[in-house]
Amino acid sequence: MGTPSLLDRSLLINTGKGGVGKTTITAALALVAASRGKRVLVCELNTKERISTLLGAREVGAEVGPIAERIDGIVVRPAEAMREYALMKLKFRAIYHAVFENRIVSRFLRFVPSLPELVMLGKILFCVREARWDLVIVDAPATGHALTFLRIPQAIIDTVPPGNMRSDAEWMRDILVDPARTAVDIVSLPEEMPVNESLMLAQQMRDVLEMSIGHVFLNATRPPVFDAEDRRVLDAAQGSDGVDPRLAPALEAARAHTIRADLSIRYHDRLEQELGRPIVDLPLLFPKTKFGRADVERIAATMDAAVA
Amino acid sequence: MVGLDEAIRTRRVIVCVGSGGVGKTTVAASVALKAALLGRRAVVCTIDPAKRLANALGLEELGNVEARVDDDRLRAAGLEPTGNGELWAMMLDLKRSWDEFVQRHLPPEKHETILNNRFYQTLSSALAGSQEYIALEKLYDLYDSGTYDLVVLDTPPTAQALDFLEAPNRVLDFLDNDAVRTFLGPAVAAGKVGLSLFRLGSSYVTKTISKLIGVETVQELASFLMEMQGMLGVSRDRAAKVKTLLGSDEAAFILVSSPNALTVDEAIYFFELLVKERMPVATVVANRVHLDPYRGEEPPTAPELAAMSVPFSPPEGLHERLANAVADARALAERDARHLARLIESVQPTPVIRIPRFDRDCHDIADLWKIDQHLFTGEPTAP
Repeated sequence: MGTPSLLDRSLLINTGKGGVGKTTITAALALVAASRGKRVLVCELNTKERISTLLGAREVGAEVGPIAERIDGIVVRPAEAMREYALMKLKFRAIYHAVFENRIVSRFLRFVPSLPELVMLGKILFCVREARWDLVIVDAPATGHALTFLRIPQAIIDTVPPGNMRSDAEWMRDILVDPARTAVDIVSLPEEMPVNESLMLAQQMRDVLEMSIGHVFLNATRPPVFDAEDRRVLDAAQGSDGVDPRLAPALEAARAHTIRADLSIRYHDRLEQELGRPIVDLPLLFPKTKFGRADVERIAATMDAAVA
Repeated sequence: MVGLDEAIRTRRVIVCVGSGGVGKTTVAASVALKAALLGRRAVVCTIDPAKRLANALGLEELGNVEARVDDDRLRAAGLEPTGNGELWAMMLDLKRSWDEFVQRHLPPEKHETILNNRFYQTLSSALAGSQEYIALEKLYDLYDSGTYDLVVLDTPPTAQALDFLEAPNRVLDFLDNDAVRTFLGPAVAAGKVGLSLFRLGSSYVTKTISKLIGVETVQELASFLMEMQGMLGVSRDRAAKVKTLLGSDEAAFILVSSPNALTVDEAIYFFELLVKERMPVATVVANRVHLDPYRGEEPPTAPELAAMSVPFSPPEGLHERLANAVADARALAERDARHLARLIESVQPTPVIRIPRFDRDCHDIADLWKIDQHLFTGEPTAP
């Protein structure tokens, strides 16, 4: 029997520092899973919808809709999630309308701490429990907000008296901490701050949330192009007088590339060492036009070769 | 319209706003440094600085108070404040700022109940907008104390940059929730809390809500909101003052962005919001921009590179590798330029200052000074 694939779990949550490329990587991961025959649901959280556009599909909005072969998408928003939750709990539509569409009540509910997040998480986890998809992938908010978000069920269990809200929090927590079902994917960049944030995130996952870590993606890496002999020559050229002035910018470009390539290796090693698991390098792309489906497919191809 | 060169000499408050991860903290610290070098007593209030930058500013073991950045640290970077110039820095502890705010504005006998209330914990840490609210509160404090000529505020890493201006309203909305009065009726006004809580849960509306989130939860939240009523007046008053200050000619905004599609989208949206709220934007800063090594001119081809004189024989194929590195660098510069063109057009006539991407993260005073070289054009002069 081979290594069990992370793609066999039912829920993968992608997070990392803002601007590291979480959304693109979520889209690429969905393509990989779908190409292996999985039925996938991709969830974006209360944000401007991006994944459907990235994959060249029409926007789906707050209702589940198809965005690629074997891939559905949804943008989970608090208002719709709350409505669904309330309707489910209250059974009667009339009561819902009488109570929840009252302006004052809806304002009050918006401020019940954590309730909007709880119902959004609830919506996602309901999708996980449904047999309709094999894998649900969440494009989660950046690290700090993602940690708050994932901690909500436990926070409610710890503080809220027994009742509806608490028993919901309990089954949600059980899915999140089950390593057979759920993992958190970490997305990082070969730079100091994003890597520090990734390590902090991993430590919080382990020590506080007790959730298991899935893939670790190092995005926008640069391959080593100049070997030691090249570098010796380039360094010597940059320091010498008899160099053509038209060559100088090229030498500078080579030097900048070398620094980035070295950082790619250094941060790959650091993540691998401190997290004790394989790191999936994804190369920086140089699209000539607007970043689109073809670029996501290139990333997916690299990913497919690297993930079990 | 105020430019950055003028703002740093004349304004008393400069707020750096923008999406998470674009380098707001570094820009804020660079601006404060420049002001100190110009002879002003400047303080930078940061939220979550990179560790090495915090160390460079001497912030490592400080709590929620300002500390002077020793002139020796500036001299080590070859810099010298002029006149009365002083650089101060503080790391804002959001939770502690909330606690202090409560302690200052509510009677002592209520402190413990409130600080231990779990809804207060949410308010001070997790309620959307609470970080922004308390950061603005602290900004006003520093401004109002009269201790500093200039206060530079680095804003919290919001999920969406847009939350910032909305934040105070959300917190006020939370505190001023008319639902409490509706549920609890006139008893609240009369201060008969016990009685009204006893009655809570008997009405049709509260019964339904309680079914959803639990009757005890509703009771606890209602009682917390009532405890906080005493702060509402102060909060509303301060929020109005902050808003007036930010819209006045004592303040200026720096909108920080970086050249990628998402942050440019957010910057444009944010800019429109600032304009709508009549907030003075001194400049937009595009941070970490890739520059074309040949500055738009046609670069040499690989054969041309091979023909160029170097005082030794290069390894096989190096010229192709060099040409590729140049092509990659140009592709990145072009990509950035495409995104920036959109930004520049959307914010005109506000200037967009480009800061190149450096080879490493900024983490000392000398690096901040390097950024200042791009931010400011004017010669440093004593006021």
